[in-house]
Amino acid sequence: MEIASGLLHGFAVALQPGNVIWCFVGCLLGTIVGIMPGLGPAATIALLLPLTFKMDPAGGIIMLAGIYYGAKYGGSTTSILLNIPGESSSVVTCLDGYQMARKGRAGAALGIAAIASFVAGTVGVIGLTLVAPPVAAFALSFSSPEYFALMCLGLALVVLLSGTSLLKGLLSLLLGLWLTSIGTDLFTAQSRFIFGQATLLGGIDFMVVAIGVFAIGEVLGSVEAGEEAKVLPVPRGFRNLLPNAEELKACRFAFLNGSITGFLVGCLPGGGATISSFIAYGIEKAVSKHPEQFGKGAPEGVAAPEGANNADTGGALVPLLTLGIPSGGSTAIMLSALVLWGVKPGPLMMQESPDVFWGLVASMYIGNVVLLILNLPLVPLFAQILRLPVYVLFPVIFGISIVGAYGASGRMFDLGLLVGFGLLGYAMSKLKYPSAPLILGFVLGDAMERALRQSLMMSQGDLMTLVQRPISAIMLSLALVILLIPLFGWFNRLRLRAITENG
Amino acid sequence: MLRAFLKKGDVISGAVLAALGVFIITQARSWDYYTLDGPGPGFFPFWYGVAMVVLSLLLVLNAARADGDGDSKADWPATGRAMTVWLAFALSVGLMDFLGFLISFALLAFFLVAVVFRRPFTTAAVVAVASALAFHLIFPVALSVSLPTGPFGF
Amino acid sequence: MNRRELLVGTASTLVAGAAGPAFAQFKPSRPIEFVVHGGPGSGNDVFARTLTTIIDQEKLLPVRMQVVNKPGGGSTSAAAYVVSKKNDPHVIACFTNIWLIDPMVQEAATNKLMDMSPIARLVVEPALVVVRADSQIKTLKEFIDAAKAKPGALKMSGGSITSRENTVRQLLMQLTGVRWAFISFPSGGERIAALLGGHVDMMIVDPSEAGEQVRAGKLRVIAQVNERRLPAFPDIPTIKEAGYDIPNVPQMRGVVGAPGMSAETIAFYEDLFLKASKTAGWQKFVNDSQLDGEFVKSAELKPFFTKFEGELREILKAAGAKVVR
Repeated sequence: MEIASGLLHGFAVALQPGNVIWCFVGCLLGTIVGIMPGLGPAATIALLLPLTFKMDPAGGIIMLAGIYYGAKYGGSTTSILLNIPGESSSVVTCLDGYQMARKGRAGAALGIAAIASFVAGTVGVIGLTLVAPPVAAFALSFSSPEYFALMCLGLALVVLLSGTSLLKGLLSLLLGLWLTSIGTDLFTAQSRFIFGQATLLGGIDFMVVAIGVFAIGEVLGSVEAGEEAKVLPVPRGFRNLLPNAEELKACRFAFLNGSITGFLVGCLPGGGATISSFIAYGIEKAVSKHPEQFGKGAPEGVAAPEGANNADTGGALVPLLTLGIPSGGSTAIMLSALVLWGVKPGPLMMQESPDVFWGLVASMYIGNVVLLILNLPLVPLFAQILRLPVYVLFPVIFGISIVGAYGASGRMFDLGLLVGFGLLGYAMSKLKYPSAPLILGFVLGDAMERALRQSLMMSQGDLMTLVQRPISAIMLSLALVILLIPLFGWFNRLRLRAITENG
Repeated sequence: MLRAFLKKGDVISGAVLAALGVFIITQARSWDYYTLDGPGPGFFPFWYGVAMVVLSLLLVLNAARADGDGDSKADWPATGRAMTVWLAFALSVGLMDFLGFLISFALLAFFLVAVVFRRPFTTAAVVAVASALAFHLIFPVALSVSLPTGPFGF
Repeated sequence: MNRRELLVGTASTLVAGAAGPAFAQFKPSRPIEFVVHGGPGSGNDVFARTLTTIIDQEKLLPVRMQVVNKPGGGSTSAAAYVVSKKNDPHVIACFTNIWLIDPMVQEAATNKLMDMSPIARLVVEPALVVVRADSQIKTLKEFIDAAKAKPGALKMSGGSITSRENTVRQLLMQLTGVRWAFISFPSGGERIAALLGGHVDMMIVDPSEAGEQVRAGKLRVIAQVNERRLPAFPDIPTIKEAGYDIPNVPQMRGVVGAPGMSAETIAFYEDLFLKASKTAGWQKFVNDSQLDGEFVKSAELKPFFTKFEGELREILKAAGAKVVR
């Protein structure tokens, strides 16, 4: 069978001592990059490009890919411990991961993140190996109506993320939608809500919003207690440093969910790891027997998004390696790297450069194992960060937030925005507005508007196109059902009240 | 009559959001709603602006209707502490453009440790200097991640 | 040269030599900042880094040259940064068409390319007009005819309304009186995916992005957008050759300096990049990326900008963009 022989050949390439070292270097760098907010895999890969010119293509791409998926492993660390997303796709992990840490289960959360990442990352590579061509065809069949329906599905999840007050959840979502529309409209070059500031023409950076609302908002909330402020409980004893059997069992479905959702959404050129982690989280909550646990420290709430953002890497490599189409910043740079090496990523890559193609795929299997071995022992080490006294930890959190917000763009303006969003995050938590819908709206709003406008342009104004196409019709119906769930609950309560009043 | 902080908070935040919604709608009206090619830049903002106004007014209504059960009174000293810290943070960021990250962050850290957490001045000084230096060594120096610099180059 | 010219020439050289430091060569004393308006990994970033690496390898500079990323708002953040470094001879930037376009369509983009110090134009990026390989359309004329038969029904994918693809579309539509839709996608990957998936009918794309698809037989090239045919596509007509005489709208990349650069400094950089453009490494890069490496000097650049800006302004107005300057 062609795939089997290709893969064997790939392992032969990947297991060469030089390439194993590059794989390890990439994974290590990626983990560090993922942990530190302010460092992104895209920037790191770009910075290392000149170095890789001297390397042979297989080794080079193995290292760059290692950085790419390694970063997804590390991104959850600060999310769980400090409520600071290390990477934009780790923001969903903050929701339950940080809450688990507050309950003293930081080690368990970190462990679940690592394991979920391993399982999903491996599933992603298996997907890449076995079903890349049909998945690529599936990805191509996705057009703007399908993207719109997918975003609607994602937004319908706000209903599930709203906690107690649906009204406030929706308002939070709308605020997120507004914030993301600040900038320049793609279709007409019309600038929207920039208040005369040229710096806002490019829109607001997602990390600035996420770090401000989550990390700074949280710190301000904790500081209320003044000198009585407590840090997160440090997990004591080896048993508490890793997930227990019960938690792992609860995550069984989450591992699968994260893997498949991440892989499928990841292979869409317009998709992204952040979107897939939100959707995986939403699906997990929707099928859970105890949805009210989500947002309070449910282990599945960590496993699903973490898995999704790792399986996403396998998915994102599908269009890159089979069609030569990048989906996102990191894959775009890898594409340039491949081109500069003389490898031609595209439909013919598998035949013309089997060394690089299969070597890369094989190295991802190895890389996932390396990362699990690298990350699991680091869990107890990282959990020790919580030992720091509160008066050291809180300044450090401010510092990391500043680095995270400034590092991406190097603009003081972004720091000003960070201050503002910090206040917003604090106000929201005081007034009991859930912050997850804000982030969700921010992530999806732009893409959703674009997809709708593209769909209507393609169909020349015909809205029916959204329901005539099968995939988008299915997703829109699902979204509708999810949106109607609270209404069923409301009807039920009315019915019960009527019954008890009459009976 | 003391209304519950939460309820009052809902009224105020609802009003603010309603005002924002109105602002969004007026801005959206100044752009193209629907063009030859499809929905224009004013389309989406108009609709979520409308939704914002409707929902926030609903919130205000709900809050005004609900009984003032006072389930959580405002803990003003606590809020005051949080706002002080926020102000310190804002000031520190404001200074960063002039004094650079190192000094501004050290000042912030010192303030937090000495004033908010009420630790002795020496502890505050040590934490401030040590953490500022650590950040400087890790990020601009080791990882080439740039941080705001002041007149001294750091 | 006649005797009078020779005399004048000799005299001015002597004067120049005697005048001393005022006409001395510019020598950089600090690392040079090469500003780029994209983030790490973007097209401009890779372009600038490759150039920097080559200059470094060939030892054309006594100091380091480093790429400084100033992404945000298209070219506006980078342009603002460059203008803020007025009179600093160590700040240069890599410009493209949007450095001209952004100030025209954005009220808030106040830093114009014309205010900066033009150094050189390095490359022009050609483009290919492509359709799917299984499409019925085999030539540009067939596409135009099909669009004429069904006004507004055919679609092409591309970037924003101010992009080169749309500019070419506007010019063609004006010339032929035919209309087809333009669907914007934010990334190259999505644009190609839309074409491959059959959701749009045509696109105008960089050869480097679509080259592999063409080679694999998934896409067909029906015309080239360039003054002359690319060596990789000797049999495909240019738009002009196909019978549509539209003005050439080059998608260019070059170097400008911060405002207020002296003539000597500009001459220094111009010379530097001229040398760099002649190196084997650069030639290889240009060929591999399928660019057109025609070097345009500083003196010709400023009038070119003025003329080009005027042409773009008219095209953008016709395209329905709100031109504010």
